[in-house]
Order: sequence, then structure tokens, then C-alpha cells
Amino acid sequence: MKKQRQLLATLLAGAMLASVVTGCGGKEEPAPAETPAEAPEETPAEASEEAEAPEETPDEAAAPVEKKGVLMMATTTSTADTGLLDYLAPIFLEETGWELQWSAVGTGEALKMGENGDVDIVLVHAKASEEEFVASGFGVERFQVMYNDFVVIGPTEPVAPTEDIESLFKTIQEDQLTFVSRGDDSGTDKKEKGIWKKLELDPSENPNYLESGQGMGATITMADEKDAYCLTDRGTWLKMKNDADVEIQLDIICEGASDLLNQYGIIAVSPEKYPDVNNEAANTMIEWICSEEVQELIGNYGVDQYGEALFTPNANE
Amino acid sequence: MQFLKEILDTFFSDVGVFDAIFVTFQLAFCATFISSVLGIFLGLLLERARFVGKRVVIRINRTLMGVPPVVIGLVVYMILMRRGPLGRLNLLFTVPGMIFAQVLIITPIICGMTYTSLVSKAPAIRTFARTMGASPVQTQCLVVRELKRELYFAVVTGFGRSISEVGAVMLVGGNIKGHTRTMTTTISLLKSQGIFTEGLTLGILLLIMAFIIQSLADFFQRGEKTDENY
Amino acid sequence: MRITDLEKKQGDFQMRIDSLVLKSGKIHGIIGGNGCGKTTLCKLIMGILEPDSGTLDYEGLEIQNITMTAQRPYFIQGSVYENICYPLKIRRIRPDEQKIDHWLSRCGLTEKKHQYARSLSSGEQQKVSMIRALIFDPELVMIDETLSNLDPENLELFENVIFDIQKKRKITWLLISHRLAHIYKMCDELHFMHGGTVLASGGKQEILFETGDERIRRFVANEVIRMDGSV
Repeated sequence: MKKQRQLLATLLAGAMLASVVTGCGGKEEPAPAETPAEAPEETPAEASEEAEAPEETPDEAAAPVEKKGVLMMATTTSTADTGLLDYLAPIFLEETGWELQWSAVGTGEALKMGENGDVDIVLVHAKASEEEFVASGFGVERFQVMYNDFVVIGPTEPVAPTEDIESLFKTIQEDQLTFVSRGDDSGTDKKEKGIWKKLELDPSENPNYLESGQGMGATITMADEKDAYCLTDRGTWLKMKNDADVEIQLDIICEGASDLLNQYGIIAVSPEKYPDVNNEAANTMIEWICSEEVQELIGNYGVDQYGEALFTPNANE
Repeated sequence: MQFLKEILDTFFSDVGVFDAIFVTFQLAFCATFISSVLGIFLGLLLERARFVGKRVVIRINRTLMGVPPVVIGLVVYMILMRRGPLGRLNLLFTVPGMIFAQVLIITPIICGMTYTSLVSKAPAIRTFARTMGASPVQTQCLVVRELKRELYFAVVTGFGRSISEVGAVMLVGGNIKGHTRTMTTTISLLKSQGIFTEGLTLGILLLIMAFIIQSLADFFQRGEKTDENY
Repeated sequence: MRITDLEKKQGDFQMRIDSLVLKSGKIHGIIGGNGCGKTTLCKLIMGILEPDSGTLDYEGLEIQNITMTAQRPYFIQGSVYENICYPLKIRRIRPDEQKIDHWLSRCGLTEKKHQYARSLSSGEQQKVSMIRALIFDPELVMIDETLSNLDPENLELFENVIFDIQKKRKITWLLISHRLAHIYKMCDELHFMHGGTVLASGGKQEILFETGDERIRRFVANEVIRMDGSV
């Protein structure tokens, strides 16, 4: 068994090597679509002047700092889905000259990308895994950035909204209510599994317990279709409730419990392990995102649109 | 079966690999069967029929042959969702719903391939059948029989497309563990968890199984004409 | 059979036959240069092509009893035997094994009976296609250059086959060939085609040697020279 795994790992390494040789190594991987659309409009005259260096932002007033390069981040779907990074990236570019690009994946995969040295920095929310990541030497140091909280959404019948997460989960289990779980080992999934474990319940005994194996947004849509309960981070929930074409008919059933807090941490990938990573930009990012000014930006993000903040900054606590 | 399931469960993470394999092939066989019947029928019809706008229809068919499954997935999702036109059927996140989506993806492929091979080979066969005094029905039967290989290839292509497809089955099926999770969506899930090796193993397993099925099909096909020597 | 006022346009090619009479029970020959419409005429008679205007009067002849063999015959996927049986199969006639074996042995193909038909040489393929066309006793047989590639020995074989059938059943034949010696030997009547029309019809002597038409004379002269004066 062990041997088989090793064999497969070798196979995998071979495949990876092949992909690097063909010129699609890890760092070029992020989908360009997710890169914030930054290029300001150019007048034809400016465009021709700048023809030799089209990468640079021609608008002088908007970009006082010379563009230095790209910072590659692996992060969870929640930070990207809520639009927080789309909001922060242009400001980061303007103030520091580093262009932030990110790949939004599950926490597990995000950390894996860090372990492989495919990214310069990770922004995730699974404290135990993050600490392990640092302890194994892949990350330099973990800084807490902000938190959001989880909520349980679902139909208001048969369970009335409550603050008691434990009784809610027990009812779901006992009455075999439909519950859609992420089931993808993400931070949210770990949170949910942790609650079941704490209650010493095995959700798989419930025939109506479904594992979607997909991201938060898709899971919320599925819960809505199935009229089911679902644990989600508040940010994605607000965004989905607000923006989805097909109106989500579920409501928050449970919120505010201390079990439901979700702490984000940011970690630079160790330059000792991977000398190629952009450690300078990573450190700039950590310093910048923990600064009071940016923390305030985070605290205000989403208030205009959703009527409440999506994240609570706590870097300086 | 139970034994096989245990082996798979010890080897893979708890992502429902055994059920995924079952769902994958259940889906592939059903979708390919329905698409083959539909696609070959439509291909024959398209080749025979003369009507205004036929070229446009053919061009649309060609375009659909390359349509991204995820687009079909989205369309089918919107049709099947609770507030969609067919929401009452409760087909979203079920295997029949996935079959529906895949039929939409594969039928144009089989239809297009059938049409293409017919266009190049059918006229000669028809001329021949006429000289032999065959009736229209007999002619059509002969065309199908003579193009068995081409049609078989079209069906095999459809089957391959079905088992390798991930976009539509992810959206329409929802990747629900033990219900609508297929091998490809499992791989996608494993990748999102950072478990690359298992994903790769499953991919190889998928290829091996496809190879075995392919070999069986070839075997039966060859068995039909033992007296051929080239 | 009688063809009147037939018109057919195919791309740039325009076919126009005012009148052509194919007397039944006779061996007709059609001669003419490449692209003069010989094959198109056969296809029109066969019903593979629809005429734009004009009439084809089959005079009681059923289309199922007309057959045609091509220069490069089509073979269904299967053995020589399966190919020969195909016209019988669609007529739900039980194959007469003795008759088939007799045909095959006469053509020297006994050993190829179960060979894949498409793997035969072109001469063998033409012989099989002849057997296949004759096996169901058709009333009108059109042979479109099928015998052109046969060596003299095999050509003679089929010439005798045709004569044998004529002695027994008196059916109608339409031979298309560039081999004037063959045409001269076989045919009762000749039709000369040029540019999509039938220029002249009549007895073979009349058409080949007594014509007043310059085009026919030139055609015949060229062929005769090529054939080393063997006419």
C-alpha cells in the first residue's frame, strides 16, 4: 500500500515535470479571468507612447508607484467569492506597486499550493492546518487578519430560528432533515464536521445528509433547490442572497454562536524552502493588510452593498 | 461487489469512490444508448432530407459538437431547477437529470459524425443498392450495415465523451456523494482537497476501465465477421 | 424501352436526348468519347438520377429487373459469396448453391468464394460484380465499362456468357465500352453519343463504317488505330 502510493507519487512527479517542461509551471497557472481588471482606459496617443511597455499603467495620477511585479496568492473561495480581494487588489497595487493575483480554491488545496511552492502567500481559515503548515516549515509565520462568522441557513419550517447551534444540529439528525454539506475538506467543511463531532453525532447516518463536494456558492444553491439546511460563511451567504439571479428562498436559522467564528490567517511561503517565491512582496502584503488603514477598509467592506460588514478585522488584537 | 467496495474504501479517502464508479458507468451507458439512437436517427434524416436552411442546420450541428459541456450543464440546470420550466419533475441533482444533460451533449456529436460518414459513403451505397433492385427500406438498411464501423466509432466517441465529461455532471448532478458523484467530479473534488495522488489514481482507473470496455466492444464487433481477411 | 425528350442538367453538363429506342431482346452498344453522357444515361435509366423533363417509358419493364455494373463496382462488407447473394437476399430468394458454385468455377473464382470481396484484384472484382448482376436473372443489364479491364481471355469468357444467356432468355443489354472490337462482335445495335446527345443510332455496320458524320468517323478511326487495325 505504502509502496503503491510512492509509485503513484513518482508518476505524479513525472507528470508535473512534463508540465513544467512544456512551459505551464505552477506560477503561470492562475486563471487570468480572476485577475482584477486593472488596465485603465488609454487614449490612442498614450497607447502608442506606451507601446514599448504596455504592462505599465499609463495613467500617472492613478499609479504613483512603479509596478514591481506579481504577488501570487492561494486563498479560499470565500475571500474571492465575496469580492473582498477584487476590492483590495487595486489599492494594494496603487500603494505598494505589487500586483496581486490569486487562485481561489479550498483551504486544503490552498495550503497544498503553498506546500508545493506554487504561490508566494496563502490566506486561509483553518487554524490547526495553518499552524501545522508553519510547523512543517512551509510557512514563515501566521498572522491573523480578520474573521467572519458562519451561519446555518435553511427553511424556517420546521425549525424556528435559534441561537443554539447544538440543539439545531441534534434536531436535524434526529428528524432526518435534509442537510447539504460541502464535504470537500474545506475550512467551512471542517467547521461543520467539528460541530457534529463535538455532539458525538455521525451525520452519515442521516439518509438526507448530502455531500456536495463543491464550493460554498454551489452548495448554497443546492441547499436552496433541495430546501435543505446548510452551514455557510456569512460573507458568501450575503453575497449569494443579494446577487444570485434566482432568488434564494432560505433564511438564516442560526447565528451568533461562539462555535461559528471563522478566523482568517495569512502566511508567507517560506523562502528557505522555495528560494523562488516572492518573499519581498509577501512580506509587503502582510504588513499592508495588517496596517490600521487597511484593517479599516476590511471592516467597512460590504456595508454599502449588504448593509453589514462581511469581515471583522482583528489583526491588532 | 462488497469486497471490491472495501478495497476501494481502504485505498481512497472517504469520497465515495465505489458509488462514483457505478454512477459513472450507469450514466455513460444510458446517455450513450439514448444519444446513439437519437443521433444516428437524426444523422440519417439529415442526410436524406432536402430542405431550405439545411446548411445552417449542419453548421449548427457542427457548432454543438464542440459546445462546452458546462454551458449545456448550465442550461439544463436552469431548465430543471425548482423554479425552472421542468422543476416539477424533480430531476435536478439526480442521475436521470445528468443523463438528460449528457444526451444533449453527445447527440450532436453522434449525429454529426453519422452525417459526415454518410455524406462521403452513402451515395455509392445507394447507387449500388439501386442497381441490385433494393427497396428504399432495404437501401437504408444496407447503408446502416455498411457504415457499421463508422457508426460504431461515433458511438464509442460519444461514450468516451460521456465518461470524461465533468462540467455538466458537476452542475446538474451536484457531485452529491453516493448519489450523483461521478469519477470525474470525484477527481475534481480530490484536487480541491489537495489530494492529487488519489485523483490521479482514479483517473488512471477510469482510463483502464474505459480500455476494458473498449476491448470488449471490439471483441464482440470482430466476432461478427470471422470470415474476413484483409 | 423508349426515351423521349429527355433533359438533365448536371452542373455545366447538359444532357438532351430527343429520342432513343432500346429494342428489347437486343444487345445495344453505346460508344462515345469521355464525358459524353454514357454513364449519366445509364443512371437515368436505372432511376438513380431523376430527369429534369421528358419521359422514360419502360414498356412494362420493372425497375427491380434492371441492373447495372460499374467500372469500379461497389462491394458490401463481406465475402464474395455474401456479395453474390445480396440481390437474392433482398428478393427473399434462397441462394441456389449449385448455380453460384457453377458461376464461380466458370470465372475461376471458386477458391475466392469466402474471401473478403474488397481484397480482390480489380479484374476479379469486375468478374464478381458481373456474377452478382446476373445471378437474379434481370431483364435489362447495363454494363458500364465493367469489362474494360479484363484480359482477352476473360473478356471472351463474358462474351460467351452473354451469348449463352441470349440464346436462352433474350434479354436486353446495354454495353458501354471503348473496345470497338468487343462492341462490334457483341452488339446488334449501336448508339453514338456526343456532348450529351445521341448523334446516331443504327446497325453496327452502319454506325461504324458507313456513317456520314465526321465526328463518328474520327472517333472510330482513332480507336481503330489504337487497336492496331484489329477490327
